[in-house]
Amino acid sequence: MTDAAHLEAAIAAERPRRARPPGPLLWGGAILLLSLVFAAVPSLVAPYDPLAFDYNAVLQAPTLAHPFGTDNFGRDVLSRVIHAYRIDMGIAVFATTVPFVLGTLVGAVVGYAGGLAETIFGRVVDAVITFPFLVLVIAIVSVLGPGLINMYIAVSLVGWVFYARIVASEVKVQKRLDYAEAGRAMGYTHTRIVLRHLLPNAITPAIVYWMTDMALAILLGSSLGYLGLGAQPPAAEWGVQIAEGKNFMTTAWWISVFPGAAIIVTGLGFSLLGDGLAALLRVRR
Amino acid sequence: MSAPLLSVRGLSARFRAGGREVTAVDDVSFDVGEGEVLGLVGESGSGKSVTLRSLLRLLPSGAQVEGEALWEGNDLVAMPDAQLRRVRGGAISMIFQEPMTALNPVLPIRVQIEESLRAHTALDRSGRRARARELLDLVGIPDAARRLDEYPHQFSGGMRQRAMIAIALASEPRLLLADEPTTALDVTIQDQILKLILDLKDRLGMSVVLVTHDLGVVAETCDRMAVMYAGRIAEQGGVREVFATPRHAYTLGLLGSVPRAGTERSTLRSIEGTPPGLAAIPPGCAFHPRCAFATDVCREVRPELSPWEPGHLAACHHGDRVAHASLAA
Repeated sequence: MTDAAHLEAAIAAERPRRARPPGPLLWGGAILLLSLVFAAVPSLVAPYDPLAFDYNAVLQAPTLAHPFGTDNFGRDVLSRVIHAYRIDMGIAVFATTVPFVLGTLVGAVVGYAGGLAETIFGRVVDAVITFPFLVLVIAIVSVLGPGLINMYIAVSLVGWVFYARIVASEVKVQKRLDYAEAGRAMGYTHTRIVLRHLLPNAITPAIVYWMTDMALAILLGSSLGYLGLGAQPPAAEWGVQIAEGKNFMTTAWWISVFPGAAIIVTGLGFSLLGDGLAALLRVRR
Repeated sequence: MSAPLLSVRGLSARFRAGGREVTAVDDVSFDVGEGEVLGLVGESGSGKSVTLRSLLRLLPSGAQVEGEALWEGNDLVAMPDAQLRRVRGGAISMIFQEPMTALNPVLPIRVQIEESLRAHTALDRSGRRARARELLDLVGIPDAARRLDEYPHQFSGGMRQRAMIAIALASEPRLLLADEPTTALDVTIQDQILKLILDLKDRLGMSVVLVTHDLGVVAETCDRMAVMYAGRIAEQGGVREVFATPRHAYTLGLLGSVPRAGTERSTLRSIEGTPPGLAAIPPGCAFHPRCAFATDVCREVRPELSPWEPGHLAACHHGDRVAHASLAA
């Protein structure tokens, strides 16, 4: 090999490697895009009315007419699974967005202010993470009463802590860097330094967690639906459907299994998207 | 000299560290005149950067600053926060040692310059855009129009320091505080940046306080200098006078440890020992354990900063012997 070729090879080796083609990002994105279509226009996709009883077709195994079978009231399981996307995707988005926004702001302020604010916040975090998440949410829901809205409130009351903790620790690191001090030396206000300079540098881990949290929120939403604390029957919601099918597990497995599969696939979509984003955003650092 | 632009009197800065109080800056006084370049010189830990930061109250919370720093008749040390914010980055700007980290990595250069313009000028959107380009031109960044939309990581170290200077100059400050602006740069780039700062000082009529540990830089760029040791000013005066006849043993030691081009070859002398930790500053003259001139009085009495000739002050009990020694060398 000539010297020039050696040099070129060395340069090529030194060149920062681009992230691998973001497979997880594409798969996750595709799954979620489809999920969003189902959530947006379920009645265009679903073959039947999810709430319509059909006593001529009760507990039918999957057939061409009913690919996912029917339940004990003759409702089409496929249509119910599709309609449930609206509720469950809603849970994924709403039950995590409020905690994300709230937690990010609190975390930024706490991380920047430090001192007493940080001490108090530390105690709040300790108090919250002492209880298992689900137990705490169930406790709050049982005080407020069952239902979707109350579930959102309960999840938001607990969930912001985790985002705040992530953001606070990142902001704490960032605020010691020179550009933060430079911002103060330039006479910028604290608000401006936090929102404009520190947060954009500190928010990446929280965004990645947000995606993962959506998958967890779907699990949580259907768990609460299953327990009768979230969405209420006869609404089509995966957890509710699984609960409805549990008495027929041995004779009509399809009532529970297909909503369960929907949970897994959607959760997988969010996880893949989260992983993909984590890889993508890490390259920039 | 006419009335100074900035007049610092009895400035002290104390920190709590490990349950003990340490004094990082101890009773420091100096003036900065209109259009003047003052060099603050000293080893690492001598308090020069802390002095600079305490002027704009940029020390971490928990630091206690005393004394006064008069700026246009107002005391920066006692000024309310809102008023101080207008001074910071407005009339007094600051540039930092590490151009690699002093810029926000996720914002394009344009945004960071325009932000300073928004905070300190009345320019509208299009005015800010145009001025941002002018500023980048002014600090000697070629192809400014294109480079404005680039991010800090696309700039080299020297370029970043230029961009940092552009941001600092956006408000047309009257005083530029430069905290070792060239330490992190290549020697050739160092020279360019220093020339740039001097050139801009003349064109914009600023004064500059330059913190450095490099005596060569001081000789090249400063009008007056203040040598700091263990948080105190050991000697201050015109650069020419101090270099010609140092009146403090520490200054003499510093000068002796710098190679001079064009003179006969002689042994470089280093100063024995290390600077004292801030928690254990020796009594009397802080320099006495390392000083060849030290006598009993140095161990007991802290020397006052007193004039040897007009404008040339030194805090040394044996200024005459030091001056003799420097002439003999």
